[in-house]
Amino acid sequence: MPPALEAKSINKSFGSHRVLHDVSFAVQAGEVHALVGENGAGKSTLMNIIGGIHTRDAGELLLKGQAIDPADVWQARQLGISVVFQELSLTPNMTVAQNIFVRREPTKALGMIDWQRLNADAQALFEQIGVEISPTELVGNYSVGIQQIIEIAKAISFDAEVIIMDEPTSALSESEVDRLFGIIADLKAQGVAIVFISHKLGEVFRIADRISVLRDGEMVGVTKPADSSPDEIIRMMVGRSFDDLYPPKGVVGDEVILEVRELSHPPLFHDISFSLRKGEILGIAGLVGAGRTEVARAIFGADSYSSGSIALAGERLDIKSPREAIEKGIVYLTEDRKVMGLFLSMTMRENIVSAALGRFVGALGILRHKEIAAESGRAMQRNDIRPRDDLLSVNSLSGGNQQKSLLAKCLSANPKALLADEPTRGVDVGAKVKIHQALRDLANHGVGVIVISSELPEVLGLSDRVIVFREGRISAILAGDNISQAEVMRHAVQ
Amino acid sequence: MQDAQALRAKQAADAGLLRRFSLETLQVGGLALAIVVFAIIVQLNFPVFLSLPNINVMFVNFLPEAIIALGMTIVIITAGIDLSVAGIYPFSAIVVGLLMLAGLPIPVAILLTLAAGAVVGAVNAFISNKFRVHPFIATLAILLILRGVNIIITGGSPVSGFPEGFAIFGQAGIDMGGFTLRYSVFIWLGLALLTGYLLRHHRFWRLSYFIGGNRRSARMSGINVERYLVFVYMLSGTLAAVAGIIVASQFNAANNSYGQNLELRVITAVVIGGADLNGGAGSILGSMLGVLFIAMIYNAFAMSGISTYWQDVVVGAMLLASILLGEALKRRRA
Repeated sequence: MPPALEAKSINKSFGSHRVLHDVSFAVQAGEVHALVGENGAGKSTLMNIIGGIHTRDAGELLLKGQAIDPADVWQARQLGISVVFQELSLTPNMTVAQNIFVRREPTKALGMIDWQRLNADAQALFEQIGVEISPTELVGNYSVGIQQIIEIAKAISFDAEVIIMDEPTSALSESEVDRLFGIIADLKAQGVAIVFISHKLGEVFRIADRISVLRDGEMVGVTKPADSSPDEIIRMMVGRSFDDLYPPKGVVGDEVILEVRELSHPPLFHDISFSLRKGEILGIAGLVGAGRTEVARAIFGADSYSSGSIALAGERLDIKSPREAIEKGIVYLTEDRKVMGLFLSMTMRENIVSAALGRFVGALGILRHKEIAAESGRAMQRNDIRPRDDLLSVNSLSGGNQQKSLLAKCLSANPKALLADEPTRGVDVGAKVKIHQALRDLANHGVGVIVISSELPEVLGLSDRVIVFREGRISAILAGDNISQAEVMRHAVQ
Repeated sequence: MQDAQALRAKQAADAGLLRRFSLETLQVGGLALAIVVFAIIVQLNFPVFLSLPNINVMFVNFLPEAIIALGMTIVIITAGIDLSVAGIYPFSAIVVGLLMLAGLPIPVAILLTLAAGAVVGAVNAFISNKFRVHPFIATLAILLILRGVNIIITGGSPVSGFPEGFAIFGQAGIDMGGFTLRYSVFIWLGLALLTGYLLRHHRFWRLSYFIGGNRRSARMSGINVERYLVFVYMLSGTLAAVAGIIVASQFNAANNSYGQNLELRVITAVVIGGADLNGGAGSILGSMLGVLFIAMIYNAFAMSGISTYWQDVVVGAMLLASILLGEALKRRRA
């Protein structure tokens, strides 16, 4: 039997830049085939070609042995190939059912939408995949995690034979990941071929039947999880091996930088107390929605809190806005860089100094452009942001380099305490290692660093101590040998 | 602890109230309430205000705005804007007049004029699509060009002396005793009901909400956004031409000075009616109530003898109030 989907010798260039070089890839019916590679390796381009978004320069696409040539997303979907996009393709101001069946709404005479059937169809779809989502709720009222499930339901609703998921878990909590994997297992049992693109090797090894590795636009290998290891896959991805994925732990001083006492803001969080020491990386683990981000934003002055106290280097603070926090030396690296962290259409230079403009203002509020350029240049160097041209707009950078610039922006404010919320979400392994190293360097220079992450290995690998959140409360503070995946999970869920 | 529970209970109750009604219902309902209150206050001071003849005057005076607002609503739902309507409106009045004076039969002149409105709309969309210019700029340019063209083709003086049969579109109507209920009111009503219904229930028309809500995701859902926008701006241009033909018939003349600031009145009405300039929200019912509100204010001020400069203050304040209300509701629900 021919594979459900096969791509043969695909070539693709953008201008003079060759993105895919003779790439071949096949996925069988009922198989979960993971596609991994660093950002820029060509994964998204390959999937965009299969999904009908880009056209290929050369090569063949075969669906169950038949040559196909999808002209756009719509055609690809009707052929049975559905891409679940990383950037959700949902419209927040419309209901769930309307989003799923847009352009395919059941109609009565003259194209009038049959609302009852529309909602019933969506309901049936959700029952089929075993989730409880209201078809008539606005999509915008659901969390990103649920939206991802809705997106997948939309893909399934096309009776897809091939479903391509591009980083489906990047915004999901652990429990939502479990639910997604349940859905994937069901689809697999029904004979759907699934292409699973992910940076998270743990998940890849958990779910994939086969793993294909792309590097610099070339397919470097296909392997089975049983015959390989995460280390080997990383070696294939980057063409070199990482002795250790995480920087060595540092020396934590005794001096307390940030002291949080009984911080509460019902119903979001209650009685949060902890201290952050000089030179320490303090990890905060917990499920999405456990109150981690809310606490960080309260400390940063972006949201208010009802009771409790915050002290920086012994001085009690009463911070009411991010501006005051930055002045005092507390900086928050946001979870969602595109929405809150970076000014996408502005240049790297403007972004890097945007949190510390006050330092570069001369008489009458005129900016000292030379100093800005010098600071920005140093930051580009220090954080290894590529390409090394700080007059490019942030839009044009890859996700990893955007994240590095966000970090650079935070550092230009000379923080005493850095709150990093999901600092490596959606970035590739290479950029991840550099961001981890930058955070550790910062701690070694005496800054207190808090890392909030939904990726357990990251929290464990990076942190000197780990605070576990559960339902808005601290359920455990782990240190030394007590830090283990099992221990963190135990405190996070029960 | 009790505080926390009370807070949570209150939040749940608030959410319940807000959830039970859609944002649109709350906004349109609020506007309807404001209209009723305003009407009662004015009526108590000027008993002629709610008389049928006066209501008829309000309708006739704001009929062009009401018709053009139908297209503008859809344009704004797609996160666009169409300033050129205030150029198309006098342009089509002039064009239909010149074509008739040139001897063309009335139906042919009207069809050609509607087509001209549609073509201008298509040009708007083409400029904005092709050169990736914001529709504000594209339609502003077309507005300025048309204003100039209108003066050039008329030589600056009114066009008049149309054939007798043409009066049916803007002057003739049913004799109701004290006043004439013009046929043009029925043209507006028919168009409003049709577009309102289609926008709510028709598969193709509803896509405008997707495009305005998230253009990227609309594209990912296989919608040809550019082509759709051509349709939307053509519709807006055609409706502006309808309004222009009606006004030419009403005055039995066409003047290049028609429609000064009309685009701003229409946009104001549509936004007061709950449409979101960021796209994705708006309704025909809301926009029509918005036009009604503005019509009432102008009418009431004209009646009261208070300086008419105050009417703009009130309209501006209402615009601000409706925007703030919309934002507040959105935030409360989030």
